[in-house]
Amino acid sequence: MRGVRLGLPIFLGYVPVGAAFGVIATTIGFSALQAVVCSATALAGAGQFIALNLMKEGAGLIAVVAATTVINLRYVLFGATLSPHLKGMPLRSQALLAFTLTDETFAVNVSDRRTGASSGASMAGVGAVAWTGWVAGTAAGALAASLIGDPSRWGVDFAMPAMFTALLVALAEDRKQMVVAACAALLAVGLPALASAGIAIPSSWLIVIASMGAATLGALVLR
Amino acid sequence: MSSTYIWAVIALMAVANYAVRFPPIAIVSRLRLPEPVVRWLSYVPAAVMGSLVAGEVLRPGGEYLLTLRNPYLLAAVPTAFIYHKTRSFLGATVAGMLIFVGIRALLG
Repeated sequence: MRGVRLGLPIFLGYVPVGAAFGVIATTIGFSALQAVVCSATALAGAGQFIALNLMKEGAGLIAVVAATTVINLRYVLFGATLSPHLKGMPLRSQALLAFTLTDETFAVNVSDRRTGASSGASMAGVGAVAWTGWVAGTAAGALAASLIGDPSRWGVDFAMPAMFTALLVALAEDRKQMVVAACAALLAVGLPALASAGIAIPSSWLIVIASMGAATLGALVLR
Repeated sequence: MSSTYIWAVIALMAVANYAVRFPPIAIVSRLRLPEPVVRWLSYVPAAVMGSLVAGEVLRPGGEYLLTLRNPYLLAAVPTAFIYHKTRSFLGATVAGMLIFVGIRALLG
């Protein structure tokens, strides 16, 4: 139950963004069923929107899949970061937990870990609730696309940034974490400017490079 | 866009997204990590959120928007403050979206 309560804000944040995915997906040619299956099996947030964009532009199968994979490479870091807390958990439970690993479930579970009350059951609850919100939102968006119209009218553009902002405040709690977060922010905004110097970093790699760079700096400099 | 193409994308995306999630958990949780690696990992969550927020707010849609008429930036500041005061993800997310809609309307 603890997990359900912790997951509720994620649920309510995912419904509108999932609905936006449902609307856009059906607009470019997905059936409602395809949109829902895609959300239910990939649960990939930004990765799914990127995929829609590329598909609309007529990209090939491999290009679409590669782009969503690279953009979600940060989940490799998340898995590694969570895993010391998951020692002794049976492989089957880990397999289920991995399925619902997203930016939001990760951040909520990590900050809950620090209170000491987190458990495998609470993490499973957070994941299940988040998944339900994402899939339900997609279904609503795909089925009611014509009623919803342009999703950006409802402030959906800011649903993810708002959630990320709150999670950032929750996670950057001490001075060292704040310094690392600030470095990551500088890298994320500064690195694309190198394009004018001839060093073009593909945008799908940006988050991975900026956060690994900042974490490395933190581990080396801040003790 | 053919239905087969869409189903193929859906199937491969499901596999790819699970492949980046599960193996790191399954493998790393069975290893004994050296202290510097553990410290490095402890910085990852804040670093990822820092880079995500900065990108979404200062480069929305992948284009620089480094002005004070940036609704993402103007809405992110009160959102952070509201979370800091209330410790409610839900409250901060909903308030942030409302503030964003308001600011965007004001900026025209």
